[in-house]
Amino acid sequence: MPSNESHSTLLWPLLLYTILVVILLAAILALSYLLGQRHDDRATGKPYEGGIEQTGAARLRFSAKFYLVAMLFVIFDVEAVFIMLWALGFYALGWRGYLGVLVFIGQLLVVLVYEWGIGALSIGADAKKILKEYKKIKLNSDEMVAKQPW
Amino acid sequence: MLSIENITHSIDVWLYGTFNPTAALLLESLIVGLCAITLFAVLGLVLVLMERKVSAYMQIRLGPNRVGPGGALQTVADTLKLAMKEGLTPDGADKFLFNLAPFMVIVVAMLILVPVAFAKGTQIWDINIGVLYISAVSSLSVIGILMAGWASNNKYSLLGAMRSGAQIVSYELSAGLSIISIVTLTGSLRISDIIDSQQDGWWLFKGHIPAMISFVIFIIAVTAETNRAPFDLAEAESELTAGFHTEYSGMKFALFFLAEYVNIFIVCAIAATLFLGGWMPLHIGHWTAFNHAMDYIPSSLWFIGKTFFLIFVIMWFRWTFPRLRIDQLLSLEWKYLLPLSLFNLLLMTLISIKGWHF
Amino acid sequence: MNASAVVFYILSAFILATGLLAVTSRKIFRTAIWLLFSLTGVAGLYFWLGMQFIAAVQVVVYVGGIVVLIIFSIFLTQQSGKDLPSPLRRRTVFSALAACIGFALTCLLLSRYSSFRVKESDYDFAPDMSISAIGNQLLSTSEHGYVLPFEVISILLLAAMIGCIVIAMKSKPGDK
Repeated sequence: MPSNESHSTLLWPLLLYTILVVILLAAILALSYLLGQRHDDRATGKPYEGGIEQTGAARLRFSAKFYLVAMLFVIFDVEAVFIMLWALGFYALGWRGYLGVLVFIGQLLVVLVYEWGIGALSIGADAKKILKEYKKIKLNSDEMVAKQPW
Repeated sequence: MLSIENITHSIDVWLYGTFNPTAALLLESLIVGLCAITLFAVLGLVLVLMERKVSAYMQIRLGPNRVGPGGALQTVADTLKLAMKEGLTPDGADKFLFNLAPFMVIVVAMLILVPVAFAKGTQIWDINIGVLYISAVSSLSVIGILMAGWASNNKYSLLGAMRSGAQIVSYELSAGLSIISIVTLTGSLRISDIIDSQQDGWWLFKGHIPAMISFVIFIIAVTAETNRAPFDLAEAESELTAGFHTEYSGMKFALFFLAEYVNIFIVCAIAATLFLGGWMPLHIGHWTAFNHAMDYIPSSLWFIGKTFFLIFVIMWFRWTFPRLRIDQLLSLEWKYLLPLSLFNLLLMTLISIKGWHF
Repeated sequence: MNASAVVFYILSAFILATGLLAVTSRKIFRTAIWLLFSLTGVAGLYFWLGMQFIAAVQVVVYVGGIVVLIIFSIFLTQQSGKDLPSPLRRRTVFSALAACIGFALTCLLLSRYSSFRVKESDYDFAPDMSISAIGNQLLSTSEHGYVLPFEVISILLLAAMIGCIVIAMKSKPGDK
């Protein structure tokens, strides 16, 4: 731990501010708890679900696509930290540093484009594809209708 | 001339002259903390009123006009009402996390405020990692939202929280990369250095096209990060009731609401600081006479003016663009904004290595 | 003991307590939240040591990134709302034993190298300079530069990206 007090004095205001914020907000919540009304009717504690009884568990399972988003976020987050380090010192580094980062960013961009290509980035249903399929089906059925003798 | 800097300086001198250093530091922190919290409360009230008035005028109606002159006290009355309401906790909720979530969201919002410079020399703490501190701490608020959604034991809440989580983490990247592109120009993360570097013009104009691109990307990204329309599908009223805070009532709801508006203020303040020079008056290169004339307007007014202009722009978005779907939202970020901001960063650094910026 | 040391001990106690709660909690979501607090405490400790940059990176990567990832993966599980089954007695005993041995090893190493201390002179540098110094060192192509590891990191991240597509894309056709 730092023994010199000089730089700790820089940190004390932040610490005190944080403590103060936490205490004051806790006080506000406690006050509203004291002031607030209390009810205990038949449906007071029921979770809201459009006014009907809750059906099934509320903790749903989500698509793995969301996990992909979080994973990609972590990767680009780490990348952003490295880029930030370079951004702070890039005047001194000059063209060599620029080339290094070009390779760094380039590799990740290539993978991003690749992911786009294989469809990993299209999260929901592809509306265009659905529309195309729909048109095909409609066309077929229209042809069927046209082919009918009556 | 009476300015905020002089006032704070004289208070500082008086405190250290009257008390011993420890007590003075304590008192100073107390005063600063109280000021910040008061500012918060006032900001929340003003911004909610502004939102309602702006939307009203955009829809050719009057908006709140009964309480106080021109409806100015409407939000105060609303807050008092909310304080008297019961804070419900639904059955089957995780009580601890349910109560922790609004607390965490608001504490994070208040901590982000620390390095924001309100006027010349008026800053709670000029931390050396300034903008990185802001982006680091703001990444915590998503956890509060996820916590609220999960703990509520409500399907709407969980769906809203999940949408919100995916949205916030995605757009954080673009916002961060736009911040980095300005950091390359200034070479420092410290807020005061960033503002000082704009003494002869704001980066939006000095940084050529890349700065403008990153400004646009930043505004889009922060609109998404604060769950504002057209990216408000996390709390889309027409489909999810209120999203992650469906089950919250009373003061806990008020804290979520306050945090949302304070976050809007903070992101607009950061945009104003990075691209529009913060409290720095409009200076153009070496036009000394013009620069002097501009200096007569107090720095705090410049800061407030720029920030509120950006807030107005974000409110304007809400009544201009239709809401996006979740897949459109995610593909906008991952397919377009993220590659664009990476390219833009490279372009920006190319320009600053070549010295093409002013 | 000065006030600075008191804060250090409070922070350490906070990290340890939340870490302990994270491994003993029966609710999976609460576990993630306790882990979040523990990691935030570590960031606070870095802050208190004057290493603002490392603290911010800790928050950005671990708290803002990894914990969000963990929470998202909790949402993927079937029964995130139910309590976890309590672990086997045998497993509890062994993990407690492993923790004790780890602690003893750390103590042993600390006592053996008690002469290892941070000198005041190591500590006195302007933190502003240190951040850009890290950047310079990272990309410098001189003898002591880290440009090769830097590029290898990008390959590692690339591999991670491919890996996560392989995991996330392996869903049954028509499964939405």
